[in-house]
Amino acid sequence: MQVFLQTLVGGLSLGAVYALVALGFALVYRTMGLVNFAHADVLMIGAYVASTFTMSEHLPFAVAVVAAMVITGLIGLVIERMLRPLEGKDFDLMLIGTIGFGIVLEALATLIWGATGRAVPSPVDTPPLHLLGASIPTYDLVVVGVAIVAMIALTLFLERTRRGIAMQAVAMDYDAASAAGINVGRSNAIAFSIGAGLAALAGALVGPLLYVSPSMGGSIGIDGFAAAILGGFGSIPGAVIGGVVIGLLSSFSAGHFHGYSDLVTFLVFAVLVMIRPTGLFGERTVSRA
Amino acid sequence: MSTTLSQPSSRVSAALQVEDLCVRYGGVQAVRSVSFTVEPGEAVGIIGANGAGKTSTLRALMGLVPRTASTLSFGESDLRRTPARNMVRHGIGYVPEGRHVFSGLSVEKNLMLGAYSKGWGRSQKLELDGIYEQFPVLGEMRQRPAGALSGGQQQMLAIGRALMSKPDLILLDEPSMGLSPKLVDDTLAILLNLCGAGLSLLLVEQNAELAFGATSRCLVVESGEVVTEGSTKELRADPQVRRSYLGI
Repeated sequence: MQVFLQTLVGGLSLGAVYALVALGFALVYRTMGLVNFAHADVLMIGAYVASTFTMSEHLPFAVAVVAAMVITGLIGLVIERMLRPLEGKDFDLMLIGTIGFGIVLEALATLIWGATGRAVPSPVDTPPLHLLGASIPTYDLVVVGVAIVAMIALTLFLERTRRGIAMQAVAMDYDAASAAGINVGRSNAIAFSIGAGLAALAGALVGPLLYVSPSMGGSIGIDGFAAAILGGFGSIPGAVIGGVVIGLLSSFSAGHFHGYSDLVTFLVFAVLVMIRPTGLFGERTVSRA
Repeated sequence: MSTTLSQPSSRVSAALQVEDLCVRYGGVQAVRSVSFTVEPGEAVGIIGANGAGKTSTLRALMGLVPRTASTLSFGESDLRRTPARNMVRHGIGYVPEGRHVFSGLSVEKNLMLGAYSKGWGRSQKLELDGIYEQFPVLGEMRQRPAGALSGGQQQMLAIGRALMSKPDLILLDEPSMGLSPKLVDDTLAILLNLCGAGLSLLLVEQNAELAFGATSRCLVVESGEVVTEGSTKELRADPQVRRSYLGI
């Protein structure tokens, strides 16, 4: 029971991070129909920026996280602005462009912070909670809480604000959105920068759980990408559910299969996707007519 | 259907002037030097067969496809370099072919998005009530996703969305497409209602009968060119038009 509870909470906190990554993928995909392959490297930059602010500048964790989100949000704006001339002209080049940006960011991180990586201490030093005999790290609960707040904020933005609703409209019909007076380019830029901000949040949160290195984007990016696919690419609730499922899968398979945990996780993932190729919430598709 | 329609803004004195409008897709010239004028408060139709360049003409006016023209103006505004997203600010509303409602969003959000360029204040809420009064069925379905509406209801929604920006001129692309004859009649009633309220109308239709019913003057296009134009009365009497477009 203790082991089960600890694994469960560990899986949930990891799942919360994957959900944030998947949300960023989903938001950009919904709005632009584009998979942003630089997303995971933006996450890595966010992890480095946040951990630098807390470790070297001794800023409070919350301030460091916000600063990381702002900085990566700006990086998102730069990426979108540089890809914009290709919008509606060459979609493949846009995709390749995002891969290129990912490589550039990884190289930049190696130049600035070195290739070895760093361990980040937990920003919360309260002792673990004891619940039904299990010892639960408080930081895991902080991660879950922050992720939930971020998801609610994003949903409120998309459903309740004029700009958020307009962004959904752009995702559904490009021409009709333009005719309604919506600036599609600006909408894409906002989607890109919110996506980058979410990546930074995920990176900052996951830093103390894992290890921060220039190549960390690879593994978390793949887990987050799998979460987005499992939820139904582009679906906001799907991204959250997909993230939690992948997080729990990795956590439980790590407990039972140790070295083979990724194999088990992705085997289950493959089977789920074979049963339901559109993902759990994947009934909507993006129209780029 | 209620006949009340909020009066359009007082600046409805602008004429749409189009001269030498051309659209080229790669090597294909879809629209060849089309010229016409829509006077303030006038309803003008463009009829022609499928692929004649009617939709391309409207999309070119809106700036949704690259176009060239020696004149493209509405009132005092030169629109030759105006991107699609700014047309609504010049008082031009657009109802695309195939309706193109935002299918995942509620009816109410669709309508409010029509007023996106004006901000969402009290006068837009009033405008929304006006639309619900004019199209009661949209009021009943206001929280339903637009994609769940029938074709006819979606057509009303697309027109209502365009009206939300209080346009002076509406560009309507094929409003009868995919609708039953009964709904085509309803659409005609809506269009006549719009004209009665002083809006200018540019209507693209394959259904010549509907276009003749709603407009006072029509252009007939074939292969991207205007082949005939005249008052609805003249065109109805034209043997060529009767044969090709009215099936008489």
